[in-house]
Amino acid sequence: MKFIVSSSLLSKKLQVIAGVLNTSNTLPILDDFLFEVKKNKLTISASDLETTMTTKVDIESKDSGSIAIPARLLLDTLKTFPEQPLTFLIDNDNQGIQISSDYGKYKLSGHSSDEFPKIPTIDDGEKLDLSAELLARALSKTIFATGNDELRPVMNGVLCEFSTDDITFVATDAHKLVRYRRSDAKVETGASFIIPKKPLSLLKNALPEDETDISVSIQYNDSNAFFTLDGSNLVCRLIDGKYPNYDAVIPKENQNRLSVDRQAFLNCVKRVSIFSNKTTHQVRLKVSGSELQVSAEDLDFANEAVERLTCQYDGEDMEIGFNSRFLSEMLSNLDSDEIILELSAPNKAGLLSQAPGSAVDGEHLLMLVMPVMLND
Amino acid sequence: MIIYHKYMYSFVTKRNIFKQNFKAMQSRSIIHIDLDAFFVACERLLDSSLNGKPVLVGGTSGRGVVAACSYEARAYGIHSAMPMRMAQQLCPDAIVIKGNAGIYSKYSDAVTEIIKEQSPLYEKSSIDEFYIDISGMDRFHGCYKWAKELRSTIIRETGLPISFGLSTNKTVAKVSTNEAKPNNYIEVCKGEEKPFLAPLSIKKIPMVGDQTYKTLQGMGIEHIHTIQEMPVELMDRLLGKNGISIWKKAQGLDHTPVIPYNERKSISSSITFERDTIDVRKLKDILSTMAEKLAFYLRNGKKLTSCVTVTVRYSDFDTRSRQVRVPYTSCDHTLIEKVMSLFDQLYQRRVLVRLVGVRYSHLVEGAYQINLFEDTEEIINLYQAMDKIRNRFGQNAVRRVVTMDTRGIGQMSNPFNGLPPVIPAHRRA
Repeated sequence: MKFIVSSSLLSKKLQVIAGVLNTSNTLPILDDFLFEVKKNKLTISASDLETTMTTKVDIESKDSGSIAIPARLLLDTLKTFPEQPLTFLIDNDNQGIQISSDYGKYKLSGHSSDEFPKIPTIDDGEKLDLSAELLARALSKTIFATGNDELRPVMNGVLCEFSTDDITFVATDAHKLVRYRRSDAKVETGASFIIPKKPLSLLKNALPEDETDISVSIQYNDSNAFFTLDGSNLVCRLIDGKYPNYDAVIPKENQNRLSVDRQAFLNCVKRVSIFSNKTTHQVRLKVSGSELQVSAEDLDFANEAVERLTCQYDGEDMEIGFNSRFLSEMLSNLDSDEIILELSAPNKAGLLSQAPGSAVDGEHLLMLVMPVMLND
Repeated sequence: MIIYHKYMYSFVTKRNIFKQNFKAMQSRSIIHIDLDAFFVACERLLDSSLNGKPVLVGGTSGRGVVAACSYEARAYGIHSAMPMRMAQQLCPDAIVIKGNAGIYSKYSDAVTEIIKEQSPLYEKSSIDEFYIDISGMDRFHGCYKWAKELRSTIIRETGLPISFGLSTNKTVAKVSTNEAKPNNYIEVCKGEEKPFLAPLSIKKIPMVGDQTYKTLQGMGIEHIHTIQEMPVELMDRLLGKNGISIWKKAQGLDHTPVIPYNERKSISSSITFERDTIDVRKLKDILSTMAEKLAFYLRNGKKLTSCVTVTVRYSDFDTRSRQVRVPYTSCDHTLIEKVMSLFDQLYQRRVLVRLVGVRYSHLVEGAYQINLFEDTEEIINLYQAMDKIRNRFGQNAVRRVVTMDTRGIGQMSNPFNGLPPVIPAHRRA
């Protein structure tokens, strides 16, 4: 089997799907890319058993066939080439691969394509289309809030709820929660599933950033979800389990309403948190009148910081503690100039949202953060 | 790693510590102060009729051990850590006192106060022991003279007998104090450390416990001079890392600095039963009590733990312990649950139990991060209300029902105040 391909095009396509590869695999074949050649089309796949990404490249070829090629070796080689045609010559009998460039020849040995895990297919699943822009935005707002606890796998993914009224994405790690809802997008038949965070980050990176009219088609059944866009696709296994009832824990009424400049608040939290304990990162917010005081201390090193910000506050004076990591992650994932922090009591959840009028039409973004139990 | 604390004296900046390390290479002057038969001395201050009589302080029940004994009692061959029964057999006339940690802490604080006022840099290493670094003071006062003056000030103001040893490092200072006792003092000058240590028994080296002593004795090593003449590699092969450390100490070498703050790395509680028990329900209730009480200390000290350990000692002294890592927490319900599941894993043998204990370690500064799904508002409010009641009316003012039947587990004041725990001499490692 023989084919000719542009080095930079191949490199670019491989970069997109290389994210699937794990650094240490139980199955050696998972360190390989699967190359399938058919009529001037090359299909490349990478898999970690849970997630498989596939992309297509135009090539010049008269043959057809398939081979698994060691990924790391190929990526490292491609990185060093300027744009030029590369000729791949594959010996189907002993899986030998010979690459010819303008400079010389490189030989490596591949594996039989039969060893590569079968890529799941969906024939019977539901299907829907979403704009790439919406999906990219929803993912970037939610992925950061997912959990990392192996004992609670459902929280390691993003809940996607599609209904006839709106579509909602939810992520939580039990200490913070993000709900991203779009009322300007809807589907005909409702659906709800949990997608693990790794394929979502890969998908997010694969989505084009500026082109607005591209749409992503999503197809799913009970165990897998299929994303197709622009010649590439991604299949992933869904997380099986019951997502916690997030609506029940979002407080309906938080009477104390604080409005503050987002960037100023974020910078303040970042600075103050440097002085907080290195393990717990806890900061204390004290609101009274129109002043927001942010403070932190690390008794082990006698470090201490206090900052004051002006804000608009409507409510009772309050002192509440938060993990500064959560606050700064949330603040940097909001876009508006002004943000609203709604509080009710020092032991209850705080709600962060964008100031009204600053959001994209039809977008409702809500972030919830649990405080720490201050004992005085 | 040494962690420097807010409550340290302002002059102990990092720079000073570097200077100190630099001084370590030159010559230091370290005093070790030890209050003689401290618990007995305190009792004698309260009741002068005890003077001149054999006095024992310690557990009075069947399993009690001697925590401290007067020098009169030592003449009968009694020493601390000896079972109380045996001590009473050796000296039937001895007066036995149960002891009161609160009173001893108060006297100890009085001594600390004087030392704090007078000395540039001190470390309180236990309730009745102190190290003072007075390097460089020679030029102005004379170290030995200064130490003698400090000793008489303490005796004058508190009435407690006190011994000290002055030398160039902590180890030699401590050994020399023990040689000076009772109620006396000694100076081991620079260059004399090795000859001073040479004739002493290897038991006198801090770190050499019963086990190590037996190992070394079995090889015919009785006096420190034998270790001094041994190559360090031999000690390494014999006892590993500890061997090297013991060898250095035997040479009179010790560069450890005087550290003014005692950082708590863990908090624990354990109980030895009057009579061994197999009543699992009772054991569990006691463990709950301990878990709850320690969690209260954590919250009060603004700490979180991430490692829970449970220990069980069976009647045949077979001691098992098991630990588990948890996400940072200070919440009763999570910790009690972990303690219970550890106990269930541990308690395998159907044998009488002599001791149970709970320890929280890997502590960090911080408050409990409330969980969105697992913690209800009621439970958080309940903890805060209970802590408020305890802080106002005492630690036993409010308790869980399961812990009602168990007797109060020994109370501590704030365990995170930077002071060493009140542990009698016989329980120190």
